[in-house]
Parts: sequence; structure tokens; C-alpha cells
Amino acid sequence: MLAAPQLWLRSSAASWAQRRQGQDSLAVTLEKRRIYILPTRFGLAFGCTIFAMLLGALNYGSSLGFALTFLLAGLGIVIMRHCHNNLRDLHVRFIGAQPAFAGGAAVFRFALHNDARSDRFEITLAPAGEESDSQDIPAEQTRTFTLTVPSGERGLLLLGRFSVATRYPGNLFRAWTWMHMRATCVIYPRPAPRGRPLPNDAGGEGQLGSLEHGDADFIGLRAAVPGDPPQRIAWKAFARNDELMVKQFSAGAQQARMLSWDSLANLETEERLAQLTRWCLDAAERNLSVGLALPDRVVPVGRGLKHLHECLRALALFEDPAE
Amino acid sequence: MTAAVASRPVSDTADRLLWTAGIAAGASLPHWPTLPVWVPVLLCLSIAWRLAGAMFRWPLPNMAARVALAILSFGAVLAQYRTINGLQAGTALLVVMVALKFLESRTSRDQMVLIIIAYFLLFASLLVDRGVPMVLYLLGFVWFTTVGLLQLGRRGPLLANLDTAKRAGRLLLQALPIMLVLFIFFPRLPGPLWGIPGATSSARSGLTDSMSPGDLTELGLSDEVAFRVEFFGRPPGPDRLYWRGPVLAKFNGRTWSTDGPGMRPGMVDLLEFRGEPINYRVMLEPHDRHWVFALDMPAEWTDDRNIVMESRYQLVRFPRSIRSRFDYEVTSYPEYRTHDELTDRLREYYLRLPADSNPRSRALAEQWRRETTSSREIIDKALAIFRTELFFYTLTPPPLGAHTADEFLFQTREGFCEHYSSAFTILMRAAGIPARVVTGYQGGELNPLGEYYIVYQSNAHAWTEVWLEDEGWIRVDPTAAVAPDRISSGLSGRSLAGEQIRRGTLDNFPWLRQVLLAWDAANTSWHAFVIGYGPNLQRALLERLGISRPHWTKLAILAVATVALVSALLAFYLRWASHAKRPRDRATALFARFCRKVERAHVRPRAPTEGPLDFGTRAAAALPTAATQIDAITRAYLRTRYEPAPGLEPLERLRTLVRTFKAAPTR
Repeated sequence: MLAAPQLWLRSSAASWAQRRQGQDSLAVTLEKRRIYILPTRFGLAFGCTIFAMLLGALNYGSSLGFALTFLLAGLGIVIMRHCHNNLRDLHVRFIGAQPAFAGGAAVFRFALHNDARSDRFEITLAPAGEESDSQDIPAEQTRTFTLTVPSGERGLLLLGRFSVATRYPGNLFRAWTWMHMRATCVIYPRPAPRGRPLPNDAGGEGQLGSLEHGDADFIGLRAAVPGDPPQRIAWKAFARNDELMVKQFSAGAQQARMLSWDSLANLETEERLAQLTRWCLDAAERNLSVGLALPDRVVPVGRGLKHLHECLRALALFEDPAE
Repeated sequence: MTAAVASRPVSDTADRLLWTAGIAAGASLPHWPTLPVWVPVLLCLSIAWRLAGAMFRWPLPNMAARVALAILSFGAVLAQYRTINGLQAGTALLVVMVALKFLESRTSRDQMVLIIIAYFLLFASLLVDRGVPMVLYLLGFVWFTTVGLLQLGRRGPLLANLDTAKRAGRLLLQALPIMLVLFIFFPRLPGPLWGIPGATSSARSGLTDSMSPGDLTELGLSDEVAFRVEFFGRPPGPDRLYWRGPVLAKFNGRTWSTDGPGMRPGMVDLLEFRGEPINYRVMLEPHDRHWVFALDMPAEWTDDRNIVMESRYQLVRFPRSIRSRFDYEVTSYPEYRTHDELTDRLREYYLRLPADSNPRSRALAEQWRRETTSSREIIDKALAIFRTELFFYTLTPPPLGAHTADEFLFQTREGFCEHYSSAFTILMRAAGIPARVVTGYQGGELNPLGEYYIVYQSNAHAWTEVWLEDEGWIRVDPTAAVAPDRISSGLSGRSLAGEQIRRGTLDNFPWLRQVLLAWDAANTSWHAFVIGYGPNLQRALLERLGISRPHWTKLAILAVATVALVSALLAFYLRWASHAKRPRDRATALFARFCRKVERAHVRPRAPTEGPLDFGTRAAAALPTAATQIDAITRAYLRTRYEPAPGLEPLERLRTLVRTFKAAPTR
């Protein structure tokens, strides 16, 4: 029942904070002006108790009652300062994000560095409005925090607002800051179910593009590595970019296959991408060399984990789904 | 989401449970003696059950059982006190709540609720017991509870207890300035906000509104303190220390009593004061009566403490009796003259004696009256009896029958001050001189450690006031005629008419008496300046600070502003404490020390951009005598910095070199 106005209040406060703080870079030091602090529910109860004590002390005219009341009030103020100080000057840096498949969970990793001489306690890093487990950061040390969010659709996932917060000491106050980093994570298309065999295993619909155009079709350039035959160096490209490139040809079906967008003409865009993702994974599983031919991009034939990620990335960012 | 996390069962259950148990038991402990027995028993059982439940996996009572237990115990509290309002019933209820809450404490939130109740219980015991040992215990336990707050407020695993205890101690120390500021400046109110419910009016010793033979004797053996007095200036001699209390004018043949306070405004205007004033402050122990004691004769007193002078020149406080320590200041004049007119009706009142009592005394007094018309002579004759005949001053007089004055004057002749003043007043009235008995205290013991006087209940005294034409009411103390020591020494410890007044066994152990006096001095300062810090002391202190007659809003603003300032200073301190620069390692520190040594020899200080090698070259050029040493130090330093895996050797070398380095100043 309270949820709706509370949510509205929270989101409007957060957008006010974003207007106020502006966009953050990927490494941020938490300055005084961006740390907010409010009493927790327990803190409010503590405050009410102190008020009740004050009334009692007034009524009984009890000096010692006043003393204890004011000591606890002072404790509250001191704890508020410590809670604020627990976040102040903390360094938050985005380390990176492990790519994930659509429908899975994207994990963003942050390094929180404490360059103060005192320890920091109970630091949490969580999407705005949520709580997570906390970590202590000893003096002059760094701890890694992860932020796990649902990955959503394929493409480039932009991390939304998240908060770095603490309730230490005493859980009387919650100090937090909202972070608006442009941290991204590549979300690969959700792979299609296994089943459709790799193109040249079955022939038929899964034709490799290269076969339709003759034996040695030029399919693109890749960076040269030691051992490449000199006759395949693209000298024209070298003249243009000062970079040694090697011309790639789709060679015979036995050595390398081209996974082609056009070969899946009877499917919808996302279904084609899902199928191509599945093929890339299947090929990697069997350690086959494959290339990827998309309408806007061609990934040269290759193999290995790095190559796999390159293909998946191309599939993820196909036609820039974010726009 | 938030709720789900907050109420998740905590992992390090055992430690948390022990902390909670310690806090629940310790915070309620000061209340145990005043609670009905079953309340602490319930608490102990609940703690034991919960701990056993955690250790041996005993089943805990289910929801229905807990609700039944709660209804039962709240009902029992209600039945016991007939109310849940008031300090004692409220405390009992809180302890019951702690017991029940503990039984079901599972989540972090339950534990935090317990901590809040614990703070409140500590507060409640401060309202009741204010002795120094209890305050020390409570202070220690506030610390303990705060450690619990830091530990139990954590979501993660508990930290080391010792570290957390230190941290909690630091937090409390940092809270101390804020506490002091608020304590001093927060506006204090002279009266309560609402009636104090259920304040206990237990029987207290002290003077009463009547006096029968034997009453004061009990007090005479009491070691309890009636009040303490601090004189501003030279204290008067013991023979002037007559602390005026209730005036008794009604006599029924055996008991003297007061007929209730007769309020008459402007009584003090009927007094004429002479001589030197005596200024002093009285710290009166609660006696649950309205009387306020002052030296004969009070002229001015603290005007906002509801003290008024009643028609027989005694000070009383209205409307509430004195149930807690009460401080007030008075100015008295030992030399005075009363100017109140004695109407015929009043004259008859102060001469009234029961018709058939004390025939021999009355006959004697009437005989004096026939012999002389001078009231003075009659008084002297009466005092002469006490002085010349063999009277004994004793705290253990034989019991008296129906005609108290007759038996005392002509048979037993042993008595305490009440016997003397009573018999003397009867003689005066029989002789036609208006007279009344004044009770109060006489004397006092100087506590040299605190420079104040302690007046014990054993200083209780009774004397007589007679009314003379042209002189008004004058004080006559017949006891002084019998036992002048009693007056001149102020009773403390002295042989009175051959009899030792024993104050327990204390007089046998002088050193113990010294210790007790020291303790009393400490306790008195504590009471006077901490517990007694109320509207009066606050005003006095603020006046000394240059703030006179402040309105409470001004005080409140002052308090809030100062707290804000202190809090801002704290923020600065915290930042400074956690970020102050310090040399990161030994080599840097050693080289910095070397640089300082060189600079002291009038070499231009090392610039921030100047590398160690450049600085070394420049220093060697400026100090040619030390060039080789400077070169060695620079090289050793560079080795610690740039040599791969330098080990400890270059650092040790750098240390010895820097320590022995002396830069001979140029010229």
C-alpha cells in the first residue's frame, strides 16, 4: 500500500540527484556533496526513544536523566558523522563486465579502494532501491564488488543507476550515493536450441556462403600474424593503413566454413541471430574454424575463445538493437 | 526486498544471542530489587530457555504459547500495580517485554528493539537511584550496550569484540562534548510537565508536625543526614546555628503540635534585622514535608523555589512537599527583632494550657508571677532551676506519666532537649508569658574536605520562643542552661552532662570517620553540581558566562547552534584522522629526515619537483665537508627505491647513515 508513493518519491529523488551530480566517469571518488544520509527505521525508533527520555527527564527534573538522554543524542550525531565518513573519499572504479547471454544475468565488477588510514565497514553496492551483502574494506586496501543484473535483450546493456551505501556503525543511519556510470555489458543473443546441424554437415539449407560463389572467394581481411604466406598479404591495404593485413578467402569446406546470414533466409532476424549464435557455440565446442558473414559485418574465419567472443559480439551488436 | 534482507535469520547466531542475553540481563539488573520477584525470574527463565534452545536445539514456545504468556504477564503487571502508568509499573512492563522479546528474538530487528529497550531501562534506573556507584555501573553498561549496538547492527559477521569495544568507547567519548553542551544549555524547567505518577512516599525520618516525649530521642540516635550547608563567607559560631523548623503552639497536656501552616503574606516585613548577614546554601535531603530549614532569622531566600514564610516565621515550600533533594539559598540575620502585634485572641492562644495538667509547675509559675511583674526575671528564675538544680541531659530518659512537666521538673530530672523546652514553655505559659516550642536542628559538623556543614538528624533540637512586651518573640534555649556543650559544640560526638552520645561505632574508628567524610564530600559535590544542576544553577552558570536572564528559546537556539558546531568539528576531525598524511614507508621517512637536517644548515629546501639525486648534488655542493656522506645517503636511498628486490640491507645502511649524519653549517 505504501509502495507506490514510496517508489515515486525514491525515483524522483534519484533523478534529482542525477541532475545535480551529472554523469559519472568510470572511476569516481565519493565527495562530500554527493553522499546522502537519512535515518533508518531503527534510527527513527532510536530518536523517538531519546525524545521520550527527554520528556521523562524534564518531568522528573532528573539531571542524570538529562545526562543520559544527551549522551545518547550525542551518540546519534557522532554515529551519523561516522556513517557519512564511512563512505566519504571512497574510490569506486568500474573494472568491467563479463559478457552474458540474453535471459541470463550480467555481472558488473567494481573495485572499491579505501586509501584512508581507517577501515571502512559494511559497504554495499547494489542497484538503486535494493540491498545486497556487504563487505568491509580495511585501510589502504581494495575490495571487488559485483553487481548482478538481469541481462535483458541482446545488445549493449547500459548499467542503470546503482548505489554505494553503508549503515555502519549501529544501523541508525543509511549513507549512500547514487552512481550514474556509463558502464556497459555486451549481451549475446540467446542461442537457439541445439538441433540444426552446422551448415556443411548436412548440406541442404545450411549452405556455406562461400560455396555458392566459387572456391576461393575473398571474404575479408584480418591482421597478419607471423607465418602467414606473403602472397596473401594485402599490400594495397598496407599502403592505405600502414598495417599488415592478410586477405582471407573462404577456402574449401573442409578447412573452414562461413556461417552466413543469407543462408537462413526463411527465419526472422532474431531467430537467425539465435541460430548463428548456436552454430558459433557448436563450432567452438568442436574446435572448428568458422567465419561469420553478416550483412553489416564479416568476421574472418578463425577459432579459439577470443574468436568466439568476437563472433558473438558481432551478433550481439547486429544492427545496434539499442537504437 | 529491503524487508526480506532485514528479517533474514542471522548467521552467527550464538554470538549474537550471547550479546543480546548480556544486554537484556545487565540493563534490567538495577531494577531487579524493586520489581516483583516473578519478573526477574521470568527474564532469567526466558534467557535460559532461549540459550538452551540454541545450544541443544530445544523447541521454543510457539506463537500461541508466546501470546498467552504475553497476555498473562501483562495482566500480572496490571494486577500488581493497578496501573501500567508510572515509573515502577512501566519498568516492570519493560522488563517483561524484554523477557518475551528475547524468547522470540531471531532476526536482527528483534535484537535492535532489545537494544532500544535496554537504553530506556538504563535511563529509568537513573530516575530512581542516583548514587555514584550506580551511576558508574550504568555508565559502564551504556558502553556495553553501545558495543552491542555496533555488533548487532551489522549485517555481516561480527567483528572482534575488543576492537568494537574500543570503537564504541571512541564514539561515546566523541559524544561527550555534545552531551556537555546540551546538559549545560538545554533549558531546564522548574516544575514537572505533568504529575509524577506513583512516586513513592515512603516513610522518611525527620522532624514531624508534633512532639511528644521521646520523639526527638529517636532522631538523636540517627546518623542520617538532614541537610548540608555551604556558607558563602565566614560560617557563624556554633551557638548561632539554630536551624528553624516547625513551630509548635498547641499543647494537649502531652503532645505539642502545629495547627497547620497559617499563611500570611508579608511576614518578613514584620522583622527588623541588625548586624551582619549570613549567606548560605542549603542542600536539603528529601523528608516529604513542606518545611524548609533556615537559620534564625531568614530575611531573603531563593525566590523561584516556591518558598514562602509562614506566620510563625518558618519557611515552607508549597504546593508540593520535598520528595527529592532540594537546594536553596538563604540570607539570615542572627540579630533580629520581631514586630508582630499580639492580638488578645492570639495572646490567649499562646497562653493556653490544659486545665487539669501539671498542677505543681503551674503553682510554681503563678508564685513567680506574684513575686515579680518583670517577665525577664521570671525567665531567669526558670532557667536558674535548670542550671542550679541537678538536671541530667540524656538520650535515654525514663518514661513520663500524665503530668509530663511536673514529673520531669520535680522527679526524674533526666531528659533531652524536648523535655526541657516543653517544661520551660509550660512554665512560661503558666506565668502568663506567651510562649511556643520551636523545633529544628542545632549545630552541624564541618566537613573539612568539602568546606561545608553536615547537619544530621541527631542534631534535631527543640527550644522555646517567648513573647515579651517591647521585644517581640525572643528565643530561649533551656537546654543550653543544662548542657551548654550541647550548643557550643553542636552535639558532634561529645560528652553531654557526663554521657556519651554514641553514633554507632564510628567514634571508635577515627580513620573510618575520615573516609566517610571524604566520601560524603565527593557525594555532596556530585549532588550539588551534577544532580542538582537545575534551573538555578543553570542561570548562575550562564550569568557567569555573560548570559543573564535568558529566554528559553534563546537557550534552545544556543544549544542547537553549539551542537551543530561541535558536530561540524567532528566531521573535520574524522576526515583529518582518516586522511592525515603520514610517510608511507621507512625509507621515505628517513630521507625526509635527512632533508630536514640539510635544510637546518641553511640549504634551500628540497623543491617538490626536485629528484633525490639532484638534491643530493646540490646539497653536496653547498656543504662540501659533508659531501661524501650526502653522496652515500643519496645512493643508499636510491638503492632502496630502484634496486630490484633490495632487501633490508640498504634500508639499514640508510638508517645508520641518516642517524649519524651531521651537516656542519656553512660558516
